[in-house]
Amino acid sequence: MIHHHPTETTLAAYATGTLPEALALVAATHIARCAACRQAVATLEATGGAVLDEVTPVALSGEALDRLLVRMDEPPRAVPPVLNPELPAPLSRVSLGRWWPVGPGVRYRPWRASGVAWGGLLLAQPGRSLPRHGHAGLELTCVLSGRFADGSGEFAPGDLSEPVTDHDQPPLVIGTQPCLCIIASEGMRLRGLLGFAQRMIGR
Amino acid sequence: MNQPGPTRSGPDHATLIEAVALHRDRAAFADLFGYFGPRVKAWMLRAGCNATAAEELAQETMLAVWQKARQFDPARAGASTWIFTIARNLRVDTLRRERHPSDLMPDPAAEPEAPIQADRVLAIAQREIRIRAALTLLPPEQAEVIRKAFFEDKIHAEIEKELGIPLGTVKSRLRLAIYRLRAVLGDLT
Ligand SMILES: [Zn+2]
Repeated sequence: MIHHHPTETTLAAYATGTLPEALALVAATHIARCAACRQAVATLEATGGAVLDEVTPVALSGEALDRLLVRMDEPPRAVPPVLNPELPAPLSRVSLGRWWPVGPGVRYRPWRASGVAWGGLLLAQPGRSLPRHGHAGLELTCVLSGRFADGSGEFAPGDLSEPVTDHDQPPLVIGTQPCLCIIASEGMRLRGLLGFAQRMIGR
Repeated sequence: MNQPGPTRSGPDHATLIEAVALHRDRAAFADLFGYFGPRVKAWMLRAGCNATAAEELAQETMLAVWQKARQFDPARAGASTWIFTIARNLRVDTLRRERHPSDLMPDPAAEPEAPIQADRVLAIAQREIRIRAALTLLPPEQAEVIRKAFFEDKIHAEIEKELGIPLGTVKSRLRLAIYRLRAVLGDLT
């Protein structure tokens, strides 16, 4: 049972395709397993469909159709290969770097993403807290396995954390299992060892 | 053929896509192209693409419609909605300048196939009609932020600047508008 969801504005940015890539990956991971958010995205996409019907058309070039007609036997664009079969579908084709220790009992594995946001996998042992950065922008965390808790509640697999206010209380891994999350953030200033790892990686 | 076509009703477009899927019907495709090509181009322009990119992305979108027509499922989305998601995904891929298509966005073509149920198709068609009605019933200030977000693809901070209202107000108007749209649509998934 999923209890924590992205905000409506984040879902709207996702549905219109304006969420930066790293953040969209985290949102997609949540949406893939959350029926309520899938429905919200379907509503927003239907809004996009209505917008397409309403827009004032702009004529294409005169030869556009003829040019397409000769391309019709082209095969569809290839889907990128699965690189990480162990991860859920939205993450399975992402190119991941290596694991970096970013503190006692915490490791971080960045992925390559374009745009202003960065992100990756974060693995923390029971009783450890997840590193977080200063609040320069949107930050999303989705739990893949294990659980953590912060001031706003408990987060289990599938739950997505989108802090809307500053949290002084760092997320703490609870239970007996390590907690594997994916995180992404627009924030550029990172604290502590995670910030150091980010600088080493050059993102 | 490349002039903006006459307005057609939703189910009609779905029938054309099915004709492309089942019979590789080039005349049906030309009709779809005439209606949606110039609309996708207009959307790309409003979303900030230059004229060349908008033209190219509109053509790529229509090529994908031809290639993926078999995966169109009227029980999941109306024709306009399906084509919107294809156009959006192509633009996202282009913005990310990746060599391969992104699988970040749910690919409408990649879903497992299921037998089409007539009542689902009807429900989806009604949803598409209801969402159009709901858009016209939104309070003007909510309609304005929805339109800016979808027509012009403004990020929220840009909407804030343009309308001269605080970011918190942009977000709450957007949230209210989405609540209202979802309320109108009820529990359809
Ligand atoms: Zn959700």
